[in-house]
Order: sequence, then structure tokens, then C-alpha cells
Amino acid sequence: MGQHGHGDKGRPFKKFKPSNKFEDSSKRGFDDDDVYGGDDAHDEDDGKVKDFSKLELKPDHLNRPLWACGNGRIFLETFSPLYKQAYDFLIAIAEPVCRPESMHEYNLTPHSLYAAVSVGLETETIISVLNKLSKTKLPKEMISFIHDSTANYGKVKLVLKKNRYFIESPFPEVLKTLLKDEVISRARITSEGTNGDGFTISKAAGEIEGRHDELLNEAEVAAAAEEKETHAFEINPSQVENVKQRCLPNALNYPMLEEYDFRNDTVNPDLDMELKPQAQPRPYQEKSLSKMFGNGRARSGIIVLPCGAGKSLVGVSAASRIKKSCLCLATNAVSVDQWAFQFKLWSTIREENICRFTSDSKERFRGNARVVVTTYNMVAFGGKRSEESEKIIEEIRNREWGLLLMDEVHVVPAHMFRKVISITKSHCKLGLTATLVREDERITDLNFLIGPKLYEANWLDLVKGGFIANVQCAEVWCPMTREFFAEYLKKENSKKRQALYVMNPNKFRACEFLINYHERARGDKIIVFADNLFALTEYAMKLRKPMIYGATSHVERTKILQAFKTSKDVNTVFLSKVGDNSIDIPEANVIIQISSHAGSRRQEAQRLGRILRAKGKLQDRMAGGKEEYNAFFYSLVSTDTQEMYYSTKRQQFLIDQGYSFKVITSLPPPDEGPRLSYHHLDDQLALLSKVLSAGDDAVGLEQLEEDTDEIALRHARRSQGSMSAMSGAKGMVYMEYSTGKGKAPVKSKPKDPSKRHHLFRKRFG
Amino acid sequence: MPEVRIIAKNFMDMVASMPAMKLDKLYENGFICEAILRSLPPLGKKYVLQLLHIDVPVAAKLLEEWVLPDGYTKHRVAIDRLVQLRVFVEAVDRKNDKTYKLNPTFQKSLQKLLVHGGTLPREPMPSNITVRLPTLDDLEAYALQQWECFLLQLISSSLVEKPSNISSSLMKVFQRRLLSQRDKEAPKLTESGFQFLLMETNAQLWYIIREYISNSEERGVDAADLISFMLELSFHVIGEAYNINSLTDFQRSIIRDLADLGLVKLQQGRKESWFIPTKLATNLSVSLADSSSRKEGFVVVETNFRVYAYSTSRLHCEILRLFSKVEYQLPNLIVGAITKESLYNAFENGITAEQIISFLQQNAHPRVADRTPTVPENVTDQIRLWESDLNRVEMTEAYYYDEFPSRDVFEGACDTAREWNGLLWEDSKKMHMVVKTGVHTYVREYLRSQK
Repeated sequence: MGQHGHGDKGRPFKKFKPSNKFEDSSKRGFDDDDVYGGDDAHDEDDGKVKDFSKLELKPDHLNRPLWACGNGRIFLETFSPLYKQAYDFLIAIAEPVCRPESMHEYNLTPHSLYAAVSVGLETETIISVLNKLSKTKLPKEMISFIHDSTANYGKVKLVLKKNRYFIESPFPEVLKTLLKDEVISRARITSEGTNGDGFTISKAAGEIEGRHDELLNEAEVAAAAEEKETHAFEINPSQVENVKQRCLPNALNYPMLEEYDFRNDTVNPDLDMELKPQAQPRPYQEKSLSKMFGNGRARSGIIVLPCGAGKSLVGVSAASRIKKSCLCLATNAVSVDQWAFQFKLWSTIREENICRFTSDSKERFRGNARVVVTTYNMVAFGGKRSEESEKIIEEIRNREWGLLLMDEVHVVPAHMFRKVISITKSHCKLGLTATLVREDERITDLNFLIGPKLYEANWLDLVKGGFIANVQCAEVWCPMTREFFAEYLKKENSKKRQALYVMNPNKFRACEFLINYHERARGDKIIVFADNLFALTEYAMKLRKPMIYGATSHVERTKILQAFKTSKDVNTVFLSKVGDNSIDIPEANVIIQISSHAGSRRQEAQRLGRILRAKGKLQDRMAGGKEEYNAFFYSLVSTDTQEMYYSTKRQQFLIDQGYSFKVITSLPPPDEGPRLSYHHLDDQLALLSKVLSAGDDAVGLEQLEEDTDEIALRHARRSQGSMSAMSGAKGMVYMEYSTGKGKAPVKSKPKDPSKRHHLFRKRFG
Repeated sequence: MPEVRIIAKNFMDMVASMPAMKLDKLYENGFICEAILRSLPPLGKKYVLQLLHIDVPVAAKLLEEWVLPDGYTKHRVAIDRLVQLRVFVEAVDRKNDKTYKLNPTFQKSLQKLLVHGGTLPREPMPSNITVRLPTLDDLEAYALQQWECFLLQLISSSLVEKPSNISSSLMKVFQRRLLSQRDKEAPKLTESGFQFLLMETNAQLWYIIREYISNSEERGVDAADLISFMLELSFHVIGEAYNINSLTDFQRSIIRDLADLGLVKLQQGRKESWFIPTKLATNLSVSLADSSSRKEGFVVVETNFRVYAYSTSRLHCEILRLFSKVEYQLPNLIVGAITKESLYNAFENGITAEQIISFLQQNAHPRVADRTPTVPENVTDQIRLWESDLNRVEMTEAYYYDEFPSRDVFEGACDTAREWNGLLWEDSKKMHMVVKTGVHTYVREYLRSQK
């Protein structure tokens, strides 16, 4: 370790360090450690070309699907006949950087290799499969990197068997190393009937999954299938947390994998629940479950599926396989209700075995195995609780949970996670999320708090498979009106800037036009998102549409959503950022975003997720062999304002998933004239004075209690400064011009409008 | 948008622009006549063949009677071309009517060709002498490699390890309009140079050949000889070996240049040496428009603005660098990204959005070539939008005036500037104004007169 290869030009690798990286990053507080496709995912540290042209091409390179570079970057051709196998393999060992149509890019990182090891892939398997798939001979640097990174990972497992905790490993020498540590040796329970080292020896079943084995030759398959001897020693249950801590990368650096041998757990009572026969997991759901239950035990980890792809079925399936008490954590009360509903929908669990625990509904539970659904806040709450809640929390604290099911893990702040995990004792933790993107770069914590990423689906593949909707994304450029832009530029209005560009009359008109169009011409159901409360209220009132924001009561929310679902007259609903997560609105298929939260890539993806649920039957949607767009995502931005800059940053995650944003520059069409609001200058000026006279507080952002990520985002925004180096849209730093002639800048129109808007040409055609 | 100054239409256009004397001399060669015949529009071919054995002038009216009314435009085009190439000789008969007659030299050569068949002045060499001839694939690879090497040397001699034998004076001729050099700085590509690099190989070849021919007189070479040799060359069989000894002294003196351009490959046996024509040579007599032999594309552009080019070529890398940021070079793949900065760089160098887009489209990798659009729409839209963004602000050099002694003087100055159509901005409250540079002297004179 420590000694490893360097790039051709002798530069040390930036993110290509062996496992001592964790020690560094813990000192630095993880601040530049965004391995999940964050800011530096495309980073080209010094802008120099990375020259790997000297790698030796194999004679049959045409038949092999990927290139592997010495710095850990991997390029995958999606049109290769081996694509599917290569994809499954890469997703297990590397982090996807971008996955558009023809060429994917991945990064091999210490974390991704940790995940690979933990789902049962071994160092030599990783290297030999990679070598088989690679067009070139594997670079030496990469081989030694894989060796270095996997040297310690996955060597040690923490297994809860018959309610005794064991530290298990196929390598007795590793166990010896661990036992040299004082904390661990003190925690050890020595028992009789052990061999010379004092370790219990048993045979563990090899991986039953063996998906990658087809790429290996027979001898290797035979080796992989062979049963492995494992050595183990028992530790004191009260010392488990301490032992785990000692094994973390910043200490002994043998991070433990947690596995739950639930079939042999005779102490905790079984929960009578099965998947209903009509609950048919889709192929990718099956695959994610097989990663979790690959060796007959339950592994802790994170499963990443796009919104609308059926995360809840995965969660319910996992709970029904383990069949023990399950604590399900959601982000808010609405989604608690939805989870409870999902459990009843997909599984045979009896009504009385599901309890909800929120500030509004405190269903007591006692005795046998249960499914309890609650929010992170309820569990982590530090203040004084009501007597009733205190009892329930006590019950949660005392119980041994078979499964801790955590929804939307990317939203919950790390400290809250720590708290929740320390309060609840669970055998297995499953985190679910749509986007492993955090603006606070603390995503690495999840790796060790919950477990490695077990599976991540490819959005485009799911779209092609018809599992999620085919969304047309569009960015609508709305020029600022002259008067609004003049105010926008004034220094004294700096706090009102957002309100000014959101209330830009041209944006309002574009929004109104889109609502009219989708409601009347297509009969769509529309969600309009606005982070800015002032704008939300103004828009909703003016257009006479219902709205939901932070202060809307639970009852009121449910009523509005019910009307939106069932009534023919309510086709548009305005949501503040409370609607970003978890509010399930399967009917909606159009999103219009009029204001958003700075450059949050996650929010953009979450919002898109609201309309990803595929509607109708697959064959109906695939008319004529090619699926048409059946959902629409519009992001309305005022040109020449900050919004332009943010919007390109926000879109990066989706662009990396293969989505493209179409720019529309002339909405509403000029002939709409007075049919839309704010056609006359007087109306526009009245609106302007309303914005200007409102207090600075009134026009600011909505502050939600649970949204602690906000602070982190601001921090991230401040610290990031290398926008220009990124690919394409990411590099688009928008500049503000003032013409100096007192004339509002006019966005030059595209040369050929008929070419530009096939989207609209088709509709008006 | 800058005017595209590089035109490379057709070899025959160059032939057509030659003086009558030279043309007649060219037509002594049967192959040239055949090449000319091939290049004609269909109607033109028909007329030539119909008049081939008629020795008397034919009235223009008679010819017109051959065509249907709706074919008249085509008829005109054909006749114009024939006259332009001096294949038809125009005359006026006694009744003052226009007549046409085939150019006698052309006629004689073509008749001879038809009767005796086309025999090249030289035969391919027997295969027992010429060992280790390259396969057609190898030959094509060789030609492209030579061409690329030449292009690299053309844009920067430092880019090639093994420079070709083309004399530096000849190289300067080729570079004339593609590179500009200021004093001791390294030469930079001109707008035309950038555009040239984005053109497809055949178009580039035409450009270079045209420069080669038009400069020939300065090198003491007869342009007609040059053209006739090149056209003759295009009738040789690709991949066959022809003895160097069969060439005239003049031809032998230029065959090396042609080898450096990749038109022929030179090989040496134990006693004999020979040249092997490549595809580039045989393409010379084909007009650009119908050069259907387009080479396979290599570029994949993704919706996230990333560019993947399946190529090992330095040249391709240099071309991509014109408008994108090259990030990775793999043994057979170049990875880059189109960014706003990289495009602004390109725009500054005079490359237009349309040229970049058409380069990406024309060179699309077969995997994406049949997808519509071949280049994702959001990328092409964005390239165009970035270009049009640049045109939003216009710079005008100007002078700023303030601290006017009185309102009268201020207004007078404004009027003066206005009269000369040069008042850009005024603030009558604070008495400030901005005028175009060109008007500055008039305003200054006016202000002096007010003192």
C-alpha cells in the first residue's frame, strides 16, 4: 500500500489512491470526496489530455466492449453484444459517471470496489473479468489499484447468528490482526470447542448468484463455486458498536460487512407475511434483490432505483423475505401513509401488524413481530416528547429489528442517520434512493453507516424497457421584460432578485400557456413547482389553481391530492418544495418548474421522478414501434439572470443519466397575445410594484424544518469554483449583459424556428 | 458569417477555365476526352455522341428540336457546359443562325478512342517482377495515412515525426491561404485554414491539387501537361504496378510529389521501380458531387455533449481540438467534450456553428449514422444558441464626454454628433454623452469653436 503506479506523465492520480484515502478524507472532513458523480466527476484536474494511447490493443478488440484507463476511468460501448453482461459487472464494481445512449463512463473507486467485494466478488474475479471485457491489456496501475483497494475490504463480516454476534472471515490471519486491537480483544467471548487459534471453523455456501461466471472459464467457475472455510470468533453483543467503530477505515481499516442469517434466527419471532401473487417484481427489481440476498443471508446496503421504478415493491419484497419485525423510515407523514399502504397492497400482512407512528397518528404496538412505519424525525427527535410517543420510542429502542428499511436515504442528514442507527438495533439495513447525489458531499458516510451500494439501475434502460415514462425534458427560455430586468440589475434589489426573475411576466405567460395547452389539448395532469412561496401564491391565485406548501395541513393536502387524482376539474396543482419527495402523485405526467433551489441536481432529479411512473399498458404506449414521449418536464428560466447558471448545473445529473434538455426560445407563441395574463404593460407594472413592495422575507425561499441539506448546499455552492472545466452544458456559465442603451436585451431567435421546435410544431401543426 | 472562400468544386471547372490553346492541346489525349465526356451532364453526353461522326456544323435550332419543351433548361445547361469546355465550337452560318460543331481535336481523339479502345501509354508490370504488392486495403490505408501526414505537416510541421519530401517552397504554396504568420510567431491557421480542415478528404484534395496546378507555371511546369498527366493517372488501375521508366522526364519529376500526397505509392524492386496508383488518384476524374465513395464515419456525439471519436489519427485529434476539449486518448478512441469555452474558441477562429455541426454529421460513426438526428438535437441547438449568443452584443468604439460648461454647449454637441449620425447615447439630465469614434473630431472641433 502507499506504493502504487502513476500516470504516464508521472502525475499522481487524483482519486486513484489505495485505501489510505479514507484516512486522508476523514481528516479533511470528506469535503472533496464526491465519488458519486458529483462536481468533479468530469473533473480534468489540470485540463491536460490523459494519454492512454500506448495501451496495447488486443487483436480481437472489436468484440470486446470496454476500455480501461490507468486512472480508473472505464468506457463502455453500449452497442456491444456483451453490453448487458458488461453493464451488470461494471455497475457492481464501478461508479457510473454518465450513461447516455452509446457510450457509458465509469470510475473505479475505493468505494465502488468495497461494494463489489461486499456482494461477493473477489479481487481475482474482478481483475480477470475486467481483463476479458477490455479491448486493451489492463493497465498495471489499475490492477494494482484493485489489489490495494480490495486488500482489506470484505475480508471481515459481522454476522448475527442465533442472536450471537460473530466476527467471521475466511482469513484467520486477518482475525488475528483484529484481535491485536485492545477493544476487540476485550469484546471477544471465548468458548469451548474451537481449534488451535481459538476460531470456530465452518463451511459457508459460495455465491449462488454467479452471474459473472459465464465470462470466466470453467476452471475458474469451479473454484468460485467451491465451498469456503470460514473462521470466526464471537463478540459481546454490548460491544458490537465499538468493535464496528474500530474496524472502520480511519482505524484498523477492515470495514465489516453486515450480514443477517435470518433463516437461522430462532430468537426473534417470525412475521407472517408473503408477497401477494400479483406482486411480480420486474427483472431489475429481482436483480437488486438478488444482490441483497445473494448468499442466502440478508446484506445491508443501498439500492438505487429511479423514482417511479417501484422502490417500494423492492422494500416490501425484502421485508417479506426476511419475515421479521421491520422498521420503515420515511421522510414525512404523507409518505408514511403511502408506505403503510404499499405494505398492504403488495404483501399478505395483516392489517393489525402494521403500525404508523407520526405526530398525527400514534398507533401503539406490542408483543409480536410488526411492521412499524415512521419518519426519521420522529425517531431522531431530541426534544421532549409526549408521554405516548416516549413509550413508543422506548418500544422501538428495545426491539431487535430484522430489517431497517430506510427510504430516500440521500435526503437525510448524516448526523440524523447516526442518531437513528444508534437508537435502533437492526440486523439488516436497506437504504432506498433514486439519486445518490448529495450537494453536501457526505454521501460516503452512507457507505459505512448503511452499507455499500448493492445495485443501481440505468434510467435509459428502464425507459427503453417501458418501466418508467419516456420524458421529454425542455428548458424554456423566457426573456426578462425590460422593466423587470432594470429592477433586477439594481443593487438595492439584491434580495428580491429571485422574486423578480420568477415573477417575470414572460415566464408567467409561458407557464399559463403550457398549463392551458396540456390541460385542454392533451388532457394531461400537471404539477407546477415553485420554491419561492411568494411566486407560488401569486401564480396559483392568479390562475385559480390549488396549491400545497409547508404550512398546508395534512388533511388539506390529502383533500387536494384526492381531488387532483379523481376530479376532472382539478388538473393542475401548485407545489412548493414539500412536493419534491415522497408525495406520490401517480396521475401527473407534466411538470412545469417555475422556480427551484439554486443548483441542486438532486431536486431536479427528484422532481422529474414525480412523473416517471409509467402510465397505461406498455403496448399502448409503444404504438408504431417507437414509444412517444408520454411525460413532459419543463423548466422555465428567465434569460440573462442567475437562473440560467443554476439551471445548467441542476440538469447535470439527469444529463449524465442520458436525458437531454431541449431549449425552447419562443414561448408563448406570439399570436397568443391577450389570451394570456399580463399582456398589457399596465398589468406588468402592477405586478412589478407588488413584487417590489413585498418585504424581503416574503419573497425569499420557503424554509422547511427537515431541510437541513439547504445549509450544506449553500456551502457547496460557495466552495465549488471549477464550473468551466465540465462537459457541455455544465460548462455553460451564463453571462449577464446590459446593452447600455437602456434597451432590454432581446434573445436572438433561432435561425429556423420550424426546425427548432419539433415539439411544438407537432402540436400546432 | 464569414464568406467561405475555399471553393473546390470540380477538376473540370479548372480545365474549363484554361485558355483555348491549352485546351486544344489537352484534347489530343484520348483519356482526357473520355474524362471530359464522363463529367458532362447526361444531355451533354448524348449530344457529343450524336455529333461524334458528323463533320459539318449543326444548326442550334436543330438541336433544340430534339428536346421536349420541359427539358429546355437542361438543354441550355448542357450546351453552355459544352461551349465552356470548348467541346462544342460555336459559329454563325450564312443565314446568321447559330451552329455547333465538335472541336476537331476532341472529335478525332474520341473517335480514335472508340475505335481502338483506351490504351494507356503503359501496361501493368507482370506479377513475377513486382513482388510484395500491397493489398487494396493496405493501399487505401497507405493513401489516407500519406494524406494525413501531409495535412499535419501542412498545419504544423512540428506535428510530424517524419516529414514528407515536399519542398518547403511548395509547402508554402499550399499554406498560402490556410496559414498566416506574423513575424517570428508560429504560424496560425486562418479562417480558411480551419474551414479547410473540416472539409472532407476529396474536397481537401481538390483544393490542394488546384493550388498545385495553378502554381505550376511558376515552377516552370506546363499546367496542361500536369492536368493531362493527372487525368491519365486516374485511368490507371488501382493496385497495379506501373514501371517508372514508362514515364516522361517531366512526369517522373512530379511523381514524387504525388506520392507524398498519397496519390501513388512508390516501390522499388531489384532492378525496376514502379508506382501504384491509389484511390485518391483514380478519384481525380470523378466530380465531387458524385464521389459516393464516402469513407466511414468515426464520431459519436452524446446528449451530454461528450464526443467519442473512433480514430487513431493525430489529425482527427487536431481537428476535434478545434472545437472541443480533448480529455482522453486511448489506443483507438479519442474522448472529448464540447464546452462553451471550446466553442467560443472555435467561433473566434472563424469557424461557424454550421461547419462544426456538419462536420459532426458527415463523420458520424456508423452506429449512430442512421439514427435521426445523427447528432443529438439538444447539442446542435446549443451550439447554434451559443453562436447566436455571441452576436447579441455589438462593440462600437466610442468617446465619452461629460462636464459640459453649459446646457447649450451640451445640446450643441449632441446636435453635432447627431448630424454626423454618430450619437450613441445621451443623458440630458446629467449632461453626459457617448459618440462614435469617427465623429469625435467633429465634436471636438465644435467644442473648440465654443470656447
